[in-house]
Amino acid sequence: MNTECVAMLLAGGQGSRLKALTLNNAKPAVLFGGKYRIIDFPLSNCMNSGINVVGVLTQYRPYILNNYISDGSAWALDKVNAGVRILPPYMSQKGGRWYNGTADAITQNIDFIDQFNPEYVLILSGDHIYKMDYSKMIDFHKERAADLTIAVMDVPWEEASRFGVVCTNSEQRITEFQEKPAEPKSNQASMGIYVFSWPVLRKALIEDAENPDSENDFGNNVIPAIHSEGKRIFAYNFNGYWRDVGTIQSYYDANMDLLDDACEFDLNDTSFRIFSNNTSRHPQFVGETGKVTDSLICDGCVIFGEVDHSIISHDITIGKNTVIKNSIIHTGAQIEDGAHLENCIVGSKGVVSADTKIAAMDSDNPSEIHVING
Amino acid sequence: MQNTIGYILNIDGENTDLNELLQHRSVSTLPFGGRYRLLDFTMSNLVNSGVNHIGVVGSYKYSSLIDHLGTGKEWSLSRKTQNLSILAGASGVRYGDNIKVSVRDLFYNIPFLSKGSNVKDVIICSPNLVTSFDFSTAHRIHRTNNADITMIFKKVHPDFNANDNDVFVEFEKFRVSKLYHQTGETAEHVFADMMIIKRDVLIDLVKKANELGEWDLMDVIHDNMDTLRVFGAPHTGYLSRVNDMKRFFEANMDLLNYDVMNELFMGENPVYTKIKDNHPTHYSNDAEVTKSIVGSGCQIQAKIKNSVLFRDSIIGNGTDIDSCIIMQKANIGDNVTLKYVIMDKDCHIRDNTSLIGTKENPIIISKGRSI
Repeated sequence: MNTECVAMLLAGGQGSRLKALTLNNAKPAVLFGGKYRIIDFPLSNCMNSGINVVGVLTQYRPYILNNYISDGSAWALDKVNAGVRILPPYMSQKGGRWYNGTADAITQNIDFIDQFNPEYVLILSGDHIYKMDYSKMIDFHKERAADLTIAVMDVPWEEASRFGVVCTNSEQRITEFQEKPAEPKSNQASMGIYVFSWPVLRKALIEDAENPDSENDFGNNVIPAIHSEGKRIFAYNFNGYWRDVGTIQSYYDANMDLLDDACEFDLNDTSFRIFSNNTSRHPQFVGETGKVTDSLICDGCVIFGEVDHSIISHDITIGKNTVIKNSIIHTGAQIEDGAHLENCIVGSKGVVSADTKIAAMDSDNPSEIHVING
Repeated sequence: MQNTIGYILNIDGENTDLNELLQHRSVSTLPFGGRYRLLDFTMSNLVNSGVNHIGVVGSYKYSSLIDHLGTGKEWSLSRKTQNLSILAGASGVRYGDNIKVSVRDLFYNIPFLSKGSNVKDVIICSPNLVTSFDFSTAHRIHRTNNADITMIFKKVHPDFNANDNDVFVEFEKFRVSKLYHQTGETAEHVFADMMIIKRDVLIDLVKKANELGEWDLMDVIHDNMDTLRVFGAPHTGYLSRVNDMKRFFEANMDLLNYDVMNELFMGENPVYTKIKDNHPTHYSNDAEVTKSIVGSGCQIQAKIKNSVLFRDSIIGNGTDIDSCIIMQKANIGDNVTLKYVIMDKDCHIRDNTSLIGTKENPIIISKGRSI
């Protein structure tokens, strides 16, 4: 079984900064834009890039994620001798343990990757919103005869110190790494997307695992080690929309981008679709008293109230005389009659009881986002 | 219902006024209710009642049916224990639409009906029934009565407007004594186009009827009423049997009544349909949508009321849509006025167009037209 490229998707993180949204749910399975889950973006990117083997490394609260990924058919990953595989930590003769760091998660699954005998391994993470054709990045990697290619994007200089940045020469070869530098020498930030030549990565992982001082992390350990060996590391420039949705604020803002006509990120574009695992639901029903403006609404919703500038996921009932403004409501939530919500995120299956009022004017900080547990 | 198989009939529907919507499909795959095809209800009712093997008779215009059903995955029918067969109709036979249960099609499909040594009963149903119906009670009645045939019927309102396609059922001591078309008498119980029939009885009847040159199994049942044990089982919920344009329009409009919507879609038993990857529907700042059903993937800037809007439609600014059925992938421009319009898939309406039909005579726009 030979496969040119195997993708490994790091989906084990808790995403604790998303607070209530990840209480029972791994971050990659958090809803986004109404119907999507964050993992739809890397999985759909794989599909749109012709990648047929994806290993998904899971650890934290995996049930929703596992159930959602299912057989991978939603992303055309139900191919014979290929497809999506969920890879939790496991036991062997030497015992077993949790994944300890991003690189360790891959090290523990070297055998999985070896089955496909790939030339390249693509490392992805499950917490970014973007559309990217990875095949172009792999082509770039091949043309440069690179050992490692890192996707980078230009960030505003004043924000560069929040990222891991890379310095490159005129051929885009990386000469220096800076991790969250106080004085950045470059504004090319790493996006956490790597293409490795498998023999190079395989060797580096084994060496890293043998080093007791290593934190077994790609950014902090494996990549610097490969760099110090003088391997060919290149930066692949990505110019499109890309958002890290690791905090409530960034999650909220990226969702609201979908309502902004001026935003370049278009999920209606059928030439590069984002796919998701859909189930049969009835179409949305807007009752006589319903009013919806400037919003995204999904199937299975019943709306008797007023919704403005909000993102309403599946199977949500919005009662009479309600006002929902600047809010994100997750699947199965129930907003009872007379409720008034502004700047809120209501978690899955959350119930907002009748006549509850949560609005900006009641808060000291008008732009504060209120998270209501599901 | 391990020992029961489902057999879904084909209705070409070309002799009805639905014809304009049936150029590329039969009645089975007529789009309905914002995202469904008519057949979805019957398929889902069978699956939700625990019927594991379903055969669907295809029309000669089969591509829409095959495209919609695929492997049956959406109905959980692509498993080793559950499966879907798309059956050929008897070749070369075009029959009138007043034939309810084609003997020729059944005769041709005896091999399908004979499959599975433990199968006792066959549920025969039409593909055009908008209803949520659980067969298990009817099946219990069927077994308790040791019936050969159990016909599902619905008590109709006195002002029920019967058409040629309706068959009424008369009872005598709980047994069905007569099947007849409406002749001005008080027609109380309409046949719901669903029946449970013992497999052996069915195959036997079909073979005999074929030999005698009979066309409609309903006639055969009627003629053998004295020797067959024919019983009835009531259906008390919402039911629309869509066999003409009037009923098609009304059944869509019935969904705007929340009670009907609730009964059909929000109960224990989901209605399954082919899944598409659409973006959520986007309502712009100028959108004004009331009392309507909207599919996913739409972009709405318009005023819409009392209407059913299917998936992936784009509706422009200043446009006013009232009491319409707008099927998938419509592209409707700015400042358009539509009232009582039934628009098939992939239609395009240019800016400033006005089309106004009436409730009795809605304007029909056939598939792919540009106006």
